[in-house]
Amino acid sequence: MAGGGANDYAAINARVRVKYSTLLSTQDYAALSEAADFNSLIVILKHTPYGPYLEKVKDKDLTPRRVIFEIKRRLADAYQSIILTAPQNARPLMTELYRFFEVDNLKAILRGIILGATWDRIRYVFFPFGSLTVLPAQAMVEASNIGAAVEMLRGTPYYETLSQAMRRYNAEQSLFPLEVALDLAYWRRLWEQIALLQGEDRTQAVKIIGALVDMNNLMWAIRYKVYHQLSEEELINYTLPFGYRVRDEDIRSIAAGVDIAQVVERIYPKLPDVEEILRDPRKGLPELETLLQRRLAQQCNNAFVGNPFLIGIPLAFLILCQLEIQDLTVLIEAKSTNVPSEAFRPYLLVGTSAGI
Amino acid sequence: MFHPEPMIEVEMIVPEKDILAVTRVISGQGVFQLTDDSQLNSGKESKNAEAWQEKAAGFAGLERRIQTMLQTLGAGEGQPPSGEPETMVDLDQMRQEVEKYEPDVRKASDQIGGDNKRIEQMEAVQRQLEPIAGIDVDVSGLRRAHYTYMVLGSMPAANIQRLETSLSRVPHIFLPLRQDKQTAVVWLAGSESNADILERAMRSAYINPLALPEGYNGTPTEIIQNLQANIEAARADIATQRQALASLRGALEQPLQALLWQVRTSRLLVDAIVHSGKLRYTYIVVGWIPVARFERFKQRVKQVSKETLVESFPVDRNRPAEDVPVSLHHARLLGPFQSLVTTFGRPRYNEVDPTWVMAIMFPLLYGAMFGDAGQGLVMVLGGWLLTSRKVKALRGLAGLGGLVIACGTSATIFGLLYGSFFGFETVIPALWMRPIDNIMTILIISIVAGVVLLSLGFLIGLYNAFVARDWARFFFDHNGLVGMVLYYSLLGLAAGLLLGSKMPVPSIVFTIGAIISALIVAFSEVFIRLMEGERPLIEESLSTYPIQIFFELFETVIGFLSNTLSYIRVGAFAVAHAGLSLAFFNLASLAGPAGSVGYWIVLVIGNIFIVGFEGFIVAIQTMRLSYYEFFTKFFTGGGKTYEPLTLNPSKQES
Repeated sequence: MAGGGANDYAAINARVRVKYSTLLSTQDYAALSEAADFNSLIVILKHTPYGPYLEKVKDKDLTPRRVIFEIKRRLADAYQSIILTAPQNARPLMTELYRFFEVDNLKAILRGIILGATWDRIRYVFFPFGSLTVLPAQAMVEASNIGAAVEMLRGTPYYETLSQAMRRYNAEQSLFPLEVALDLAYWRRLWEQIALLQGEDRTQAVKIIGALVDMNNLMWAIRYKVYHQLSEEELINYTLPFGYRVRDEDIRSIAAGVDIAQVVERIYPKLPDVEEILRDPRKGLPELETLLQRRLAQQCNNAFVGNPFLIGIPLAFLILCQLEIQDLTVLIEAKSTNVPSEAFRPYLLVGTSAGI
Repeated sequence: MFHPEPMIEVEMIVPEKDILAVTRVISGQGVFQLTDDSQLNSGKESKNAEAWQEKAAGFAGLERRIQTMLQTLGAGEGQPPSGEPETMVDLDQMRQEVEKYEPDVRKASDQIGGDNKRIEQMEAVQRQLEPIAGIDVDVSGLRRAHYTYMVLGSMPAANIQRLETSLSRVPHIFLPLRQDKQTAVVWLAGSESNADILERAMRSAYINPLALPEGYNGTPTEIIQNLQANIEAARADIATQRQALASLRGALEQPLQALLWQVRTSRLLVDAIVHSGKLRYTYIVVGWIPVARFERFKQRVKQVSKETLVESFPVDRNRPAEDVPVSLHHARLLGPFQSLVTTFGRPRYNEVDPTWVMAIMFPLLYGAMFGDAGQGLVMVLGGWLLTSRKVKALRGLAGLGGLVIACGTSATIFGLLYGSFFGFETVIPALWMRPIDNIMTILIISIVAGVVLLSLGFLIGLYNAFVARDWARFFFDHNGLVGMVLYYSLLGLAAGLLLGSKMPVPSIVFTIGAIISALIVAFSEVFIRLMEGERPLIEESLSTYPIQIFFELFETVIGFLSNTLSYIRVGAFAVAHAGLSLAFFNLASLAGPAGSVGYWIVLVIGNIFIVGFEGFIVAIQTMRLSYYEFFTKFFTGGGKTYEPLTLNPSKQES
């Protein structure tokens, strides 16, 4: 049976298009970027679709961290409502895509335990995942011990992964092996869900989620090479063999020490100034990541043109939503620390002329 | 009946001295949903509020500790005490009580936990050794290899391929010895000169090298035998500890359950106080309550605190009411249908609660698709069995009993109308018609029924928009008035094509209607923004706007078409039911002549299959028709759940 179909996607497509029209406009971004300070930013933000989420919290509690937490609720709502309307065959993939934030929450829990943080101190660092979560977050934080916290995950998709990595954690007393194991297992599970789709649905999912995998995989490979100086074998073991444009040979080339700029240019021939950006990879990496994210945003916007009765549109919308939250996080952090606009603008993704 | 229960907003100003008594009343009645007003706390009062917050955290911690003890003992939480809740208990005294019981329970459970962990470790080693059990070599010798690097261990199965890739340029031997979905037992060997590379590769692939516990030497078979003996000893120890826990349970179950409810009651009371607003000498308690229960509630509050001021603010359904909690209050008989509605979504306060429509439509559609008097009666019997809770294994499905009875009754009635009895099409007369002999008629009737139901959906949607005074949605929504005109115009055109000159209304009327309404639907967003005073009228760029409106119109028309044609399945299933029965009659005649034992066995199996399999599929199709075709025409959902404060959570509406 071929994927997609008007019957399956009519309702979700209508819903997503309505939601798509509520994404922040260029004018919204301009107003937010020009806000005099954090408080003015909040006032402007309250007049956007994020307003209802902020209105629920009293003004004195609207700290930057709390604001970021509250605006994430909109993304959580978008995921939950889209998952609910999605056709049966597309639902597992969307749920798994949503679990990206659960994996992030799990990492935050583990870091919280290491830092000895109390639940009240870190609860607003988490993504407001809602009822779909399988993490007993508060109990894990209160367990104050990584081993005990991992034991609480029995029966969840994370238990096996973490229990297999626990020996390394115990030996190295670093969260790195646990976090890498969680990341690899998550993207593998997501890719397995794509493989279960049929026909054009699968092609579109590979294109959109594959682009996301590419970006992560490439940035991991470069970071492991540049910052962690991992061996060729370690780098390969800590990356993924699948994606949309990034091939395994590219990762292996980076692992083997081939010039990174050359590899990136081969993968993304239209990406501007790669040579220049990666002249000093340590400095250029954030800029490269921003460029790749803008490219992803562009690709997601393009997904809205063409056959509307496929999985591409909801997937693209959810990623655009996520990138919008990322932009807002940059703006909130910049305004709360009085960073000048020329310093934060280069890191905006959707809310820039380059991004749109 | 047609709307969620009317609610009233209540604001109480409670003197500080009475806050506990009033909170006991509002928690004990199980009807008051508290609104968080803690933002009113400020200045000096916030210190007081912090004290309550600390108390709440203290009670919550104690509650968790008691629950853990009960779980360890294998005991349930018991029932909440009947009557009015007790006064709030002293936190320190409760803590001492908990600490009195905890050491005994923890000692036994820690010992069981430790034994289980040891068993798990020993079993892991056993699993790693099993693939090499046949080798007659002292395994501990692996540790003493001088010229080769060797690792025997387990790793995530998903990492195998990546590890092989990573070692493609390093001389090595890598053998997966055993593998299941999650884990693989592997052996990796190479030259000692490459030990560093192999070690890093091994670590980064998450290979956990075999770690023989101290004192285990010899061949794999010998070690496995030793491990087995130790596992059995640990299991025996666990059995002893479990006995100790069982006797502890006898002694501690009741005191712990009593303690749990005392602590829980206090925690709920403190939580409620924490969420109230604290002024200098008073608390402000704000919340929601169903209108029908307000007077009694007010009386009870006044009984315990004469000085408390109780103000009430009725809620107008004509205003936006996203913050009003939605209480769905129906007769018990409608419970299963209410669950069907809330599974899709909770209606908003000012929209129609479609439970009653569901209660009529769902069994009707089900029966029409699964019309068989005999099988319907079997379903009624099955539903009664579920509801009666007589079969222990089916108790978990008791909630479905009512639904099965309703669907079974409808199937029986349709069975009489279709003349179908356990698949026999000639035993009883058809009071209406036999679907298999009137295929076109039943299909056309199905589509007409679909048009009627969709029209009902449109009308409910219009009514919802009217009640909410949402005129933009009323007129211009795709499922609003203009959408309805487009739908009927398209139906008129289709009928014109089928009936030709017999059509009483000329086609031009429908053509004009379709064109005008289609144009309005296409530009509906502009009209809606215009009516709501939002600017700019077109948010998107003008270059992509035509594409967008084309697709939106296309989607709307396709949606109308598919929604209507979807109902054809009602007739199709009625026909298929008779066809499937016929297939079993043919199979039965292959098993033996009519009336023989083989013949009847096949027929009985066939009927069981039809009731189980087809009955289930028809239920899914009915849900689909209800949710996707019907509800999407009017149902917004997203209503806020009514969650009154209660000391007995099981009494809350699910």
